[in-house]
Amino acid sequence: MQLSRADLLKAYRTMKMIREFEERLHIEFAAGEVPGFVHLYAGEEAVATGVCMHLDDRDKITSTHRGHGHCLAKGCDVDGMMAEIFGKTNGLCAGKGGSMHIADLSKGMLGANGIVGGGPPLACGAALAAKKLGTGGVAVSFVGDGGANQGTTLESLNLAAIWSLPCIFVIENNGYAESTSCKYAGACHDFADRASGFNMPGVTVDGHDFFAVHEVTGEAVRRARMGNGPTLIECKVNRYYGHFEGDAQTYRARDEVKTIRETRDCIANFEKKATSSGMLAASELQETSREVLAQIDDAVAKAKAAARPGAADLLTHVYVSY
Amino acid sequence: MAQHQAPVGIVANPASGRDVRRLVARASAFPVSEKCHMITRLLAALAATGVTRVLAMPDRGGITERLRRAIATQGPHDGWPQVEFVEMPIEDGPADTLRAVELMVAAGVAAIVVLGGDGTHRLAASACGETPIMALSTGTNNVFPEIREATIAGIATGLVATGRVDATRASRRNKVLRVEVDGQQTDLAVVDAAISNHRWIGSKALWHPELLSQLFVTFAESDALGLSSIAGLLCPVSRRAAHGLRIDLLPPERAAVTLKAPIAPGLMASVGIAGVCEIRPSEPQSIHSGSGVIALDGEREIEFRPQQRVAIRLGLDGPLTIDTGEVMTQAARDGLLVSRHA
Repeated sequence: MQLSRADLLKAYRTMKMIREFEERLHIEFAAGEVPGFVHLYAGEEAVATGVCMHLDDRDKITSTHRGHGHCLAKGCDVDGMMAEIFGKTNGLCAGKGGSMHIADLSKGMLGANGIVGGGPPLACGAALAAKKLGTGGVAVSFVGDGGANQGTTLESLNLAAIWSLPCIFVIENNGYAESTSCKYAGACHDFADRASGFNMPGVTVDGHDFFAVHEVTGEAVRRARMGNGPTLIECKVNRYYGHFEGDAQTYRARDEVKTIRETRDCIANFEKKATSSGMLAASELQETSREVLAQIDDAVAKAKAAARPGAADLLTHVYVSY
Repeated sequence: MAQHQAPVGIVANPASGRDVRRLVARASAFPVSEKCHMITRLLAALAATGVTRVLAMPDRGGITERLRRAIATQGPHDGWPQVEFVEMPIEDGPADTLRAVELMVAAGVAAIVVLGGDGTHRLAASACGETPIMALSTGTNNVFPEIREATIAGIATGLVATGRVDATRASRRNKVLRVEVDGQQTDLAVVDAAISNHRWIGSKALWHPELLSQLFVTFAESDALGLSSIAGLLCPVSRRAAHGLRIDLLPPERAAVTLKAPIAPGLMASVGIAGVCEIRPSEPQSIHSGSGVIALDGEREIEFRPQQRVAIRLGLDGPLTIDTGEVMTQAARDGLLVSRHA
């Protein structure tokens, strides 16, 4: 699939939105404005963007505790997300979920998940529903390298394979499960190696490269929509911040993040390629950046101005009606 | 055994054999664990031929860690060579192979065993100079390296490294294709260079032959897999011939001649043929496309734009590779592995 100018601008806007959203949260959290924990996705934008550009309203995703990027790439409202993370009533989950439990079923975003490895079984369910109902939809489960070692993920890979589900497992291997190196925690360093054990294709891709992620995922989505079953895609990537905000990151080399930011940043590399190809002008990227920053400023202002849930909200949203 | 003996280098690419061709074709995965098993078999064979020291490329993909564990738990009678990992920064990318080979050459290794596909060998070839390579396949399209049992490759490498076979007779010189952009050499290929209408490097592999406009090969075997099979099925060229080939390609629906070629494992593609001609050393081959991507040994590597001048030249001065069959023939003839006891 050749990317059009409109595709490229959309991809840039999404990646930039995720980056600025996270950079702003980094500041707001340090200022004490954000309740609970936040786990920032900065550095991994090419993965969520490259994957979700292939998805439409039929498709579902499940996320992780590092879920802001997945939400934004799947089309969740920026204001609603920011308000949710600030714990305000105008948030996507009325301020009761926070960063780790953002969901927007109307967008096919089945939820960030505080349970490591909690998403894959849900994605199998969504994929089974799509298959049985014949919607043509697919389910994508984003999983971290820590989550990839959970039994839930391994069971889901098996289930997706035996039922030939339209399910894509995107393992975002950022090298650390919280503070534990995946080299220590994984008997198998390359998660793509595991795929053959579950009788499905396994592909490793550079998670810093939007074009590579987009291309590989396009093939996996096509395969799933054609009824040919699941795929495992391992994206080798890096996170720019700690496991959570406040993490001292003593387990990382001092210049690790600095070097990656300087040499492998997905947005800088995208800008270089898109402009040198003549597909986009630098001025278009600058204008998009300005619009994104203004949108983030606006979202933060609205979130800060909104009300927190009160005592009257305590017993609402406890049960779901079907 | 003499301590001044030159060490042997081992470069194993942890990333080979797991790209998108597992998804778009029917390529097998080549797991890290198997690469590590191959290295331990190499070590056993190298030890048996008298090699005492090995320099290995460090990685973060799992090979180094598994190898350290295997070395620590080797049997009391294994007697593997001393393995040292080259001190170098690790980037988890192609630069690691280049840097490791450069450092091994600087350290004076007698030979370098390379485990990877055509892409890995391309990188090694661009940095190895006159140090011979033992080319072992752990990749997807394997034209340049051989699919060999590592034990035999280890014996052959060890016999060359310890000077027990005639290295001149045991090695063969390979051809290369050098790519020049705006007059500067930017890269090389050991098997093929293809011009594609892709706009981006993306996931690197090529599986849309209708986007190809030109293909250049150093050699082409009729039983090859990958893009060079297109040339191999039209006009085979041996590794030793003093020429290569250029194939001009068209989308199959526009071509008077089409060919079914195995361009990836399990992937037979219809390719439109517009012309075939021999290319001679050093003659610059111009590129027809205004912009696109140059794929080297099956992987998209260079994006070029209309304002850039691109040329490709065949060279007969590529890397030396150890001819395993020839070494083992010498070993048998001269009884190099025979010991006689009273």
